[in-house]
Amino acid sequence: MSPAPAFALLAGLAAAALLAERAASVAAIAAALLAVCLRAPQRRRWPYLVGALGSALSVFLVSPFVSHVGTHMVWEGPRLPVVGVLDVTGEELGAAGFQALRLAALALAFAAYTLLLDHDRLLQSAGFARRSVLAAGLATRFIPTLERDAAGVVEALRGRGVDVRGIRGHARLLSPLLAGSLERSLNLAEAMEARGFGRPGRTRVPTPPWSRLDRAALALTPLVIGLGAVWL
Amino acid sequence: MALAQTDALSFTYPEVGTPALEGVSVAIEPGELVCVLGPSGSGKSTLLRALSGLVPHFHGGRFAGRVQIAGNDTREARPADLAGTVATVFQDPDDQVIFGRVENEVAFGLENVGVPPAEIPPRAIAALESIGAGHLAGRRTETLSEGELQRVCLAAAVALEPRLLLLDEPTSQLDPAGAEAFLDLVCRLGSTVVVSEQRPTLPLARCDRVLFLEAGRVLLDSPRAEALEWIAQRRPRYLPREASEPVSATARGETVCTLEDVAFAYPGGPPVLDGAELDLRRGEIVALMGANGSGKTTLGKIAAGLLEPQRGRVAFHGRPGYLSQDPGRYLVRERVDEEVALGVRGDLAPARAALRDVGLAGYEARHPRDLSSGERERLALAAVLVTEPDLLVLDEPTRGVDPDRKAELAELLRRGATGRTTLLITHDPVFAGDVADRVVQIGAREAVYA
Repeated sequence: MSPAPAFALLAGLAAAALLAERAASVAAIAAALLAVCLRAPQRRRWPYLVGALGSALSVFLVSPFVSHVGTHMVWEGPRLPVVGVLDVTGEELGAAGFQALRLAALALAFAAYTLLLDHDRLLQSAGFARRSVLAAGLATRFIPTLERDAAGVVEALRGRGVDVRGIRGHARLLSPLLAGSLERSLNLAEAMEARGFGRPGRTRVPTPPWSRLDRAALALTPLVIGLGAVWL
Repeated sequence: MALAQTDALSFTYPEVGTPALEGVSVAIEPGELVCVLGPSGSGKSTLLRALSGLVPHFHGGRFAGRVQIAGNDTREARPADLAGTVATVFQDPDDQVIFGRVENEVAFGLENVGVPPAEIPPRAIAALESIGAGHLAGRRTETLSEGELQRVCLAAAVALEPRLLLLDEPTSQLDPAGAEAFLDLVCRLGSTVVVSEQRPTLPLARCDRVLFLEAGRVLLDSPRAEALEWIAQRRPRYLPREASEPVSATARGETVCTLEDVAFAYPGGPPVLDGAELDLRRGEIVALMGANGSGKTTLGKIAAGLLEPQRGRVAFHGRPGYLSQDPGRYLVRERVDEEVALGVRGDLAPARAALRDVGLAGYEARHPRDLSSGERERLALAAVLVTEPDLLVLDEPTRGVDPDRKAELAELLRRGATGRTTLLITHDPVFAGDVADRVVQIGAREAVYA
């Protein structure tokens, strides 16, 4: 499938997950997106899947304790300062599960976009706001670069006898990694300018014509959003 | 008439006191291959950036004098306007590749300069084929080795059919055969070429003229024959020379690391190592050499305990240390001395001693990111040396290092050699000959292009 219709369909599924009001519908969308993500190579997909499913699980586990809705008590705990009584109701569990599924669907749509779409062709197919689209495309390309940099920094630290352990240890690397990314983006900007980026009269490599599947995917996108808003 | 000309060019980067270039006047004639030599920080890269218009347009700073490229004054013409007339290949391909697919990367410049759409794909493919990289079309850029990426960057420059091709240390990532083939290709292109290099042997054998820069000034601007005489008298370390025979260790101590029948493949990839054997003893410096993609870095990481082999046995007797070829990975802390002290639980005394050893005394309070690329290389070395490893694995420590610094590094390695084992991964046969007790060659996997 061409990247532009695939991108539209992914965006449509994400919008439907946000608009749908039945947990089963959102779960079906999340499951479909998970199946799509599983087509990516195992080595690349696992951080995205862990991130998507882990953050959804966190929402499911934490939100019942910080919300106070419902009357069907499932568990009642001690009273804590500031927070109040710790309790979990059936309604809170239901709402937490629903929000967790929504978050999972959104994160999996982003994972599918990052892992499976040909961003070069997506950039080429953008007929408007090319600078903004290029910036977004470059930002996406930086994600795997950032992953590689992170692995490199951890390896260099291990090479001098420093072990990076736990969430806190990895979190300390965020600032140097971001600084490194900024430095790289400056070098990239310099190389782009040297290659004529920003010059008037730019042309584009011809893109291959869309297939029937591409047209079908594009037609399906508003339908999916409409279904999410009205029926699901 | 000169294709490129600088008249009394002086330039100072913003927030820097000393000028990067001072009173530089050179003229580059059509068809010439000019080799620019000089120590790190001498202004070579800045001169190339001035010839592409990036100085001053991209960098800002104080600019005086004049640069003209094919009749265009760079004070008026922006780098994007000069693209097509001038093309630049920078040192680090990772910092210039934009797209995920090779042919799109090569086509990017053609799109920018307004080549008719129908002509772009055939010109991109022709450029790849002209430098023997046609087989890379269709590949994803993140799957390419550094050497392959460098070729893609050259193809992207060549596709523009520039009148002036600027190459900033283009062979720093390549093995000797790859570097030689790369420069031979450049010579065959017929463009005017200005190439800056820290491994002067190959460009000096091919160039028409040599510029030697030091502290931003041109010390030499002569045809090759005269330049070789000048270099022999004034800067003999820059003279091309054959690699000497390894300086056999006087006393080899106990075994520090042994690799037996080691095999390794990255997930989803072909085997990188198969049946590798290595015996490293205390007191010796072993140079590990081989073509791009032959598995040198992988073997070094296995020896340092950073990778687990899928088959075979690795035995350590002591503590390993590993210096990555990317000094950008040693910029974690806010101060230079704290960065080095990270490997010794924050103890600043040995960290400062290690900084002195690598010539960075006085830099303790600076931010690591404020250091130049050459200084970052030395900081990374200090960050590993301070841990006093029994096995020191150095991955390409001379990349982008000038001959004077290489001599200092060789001296530093030899001075500390007796107390440890040093495994030196390098593409530099001259440096290997100068410093190593023995050389281990590893088989090639990546084809050398013709």
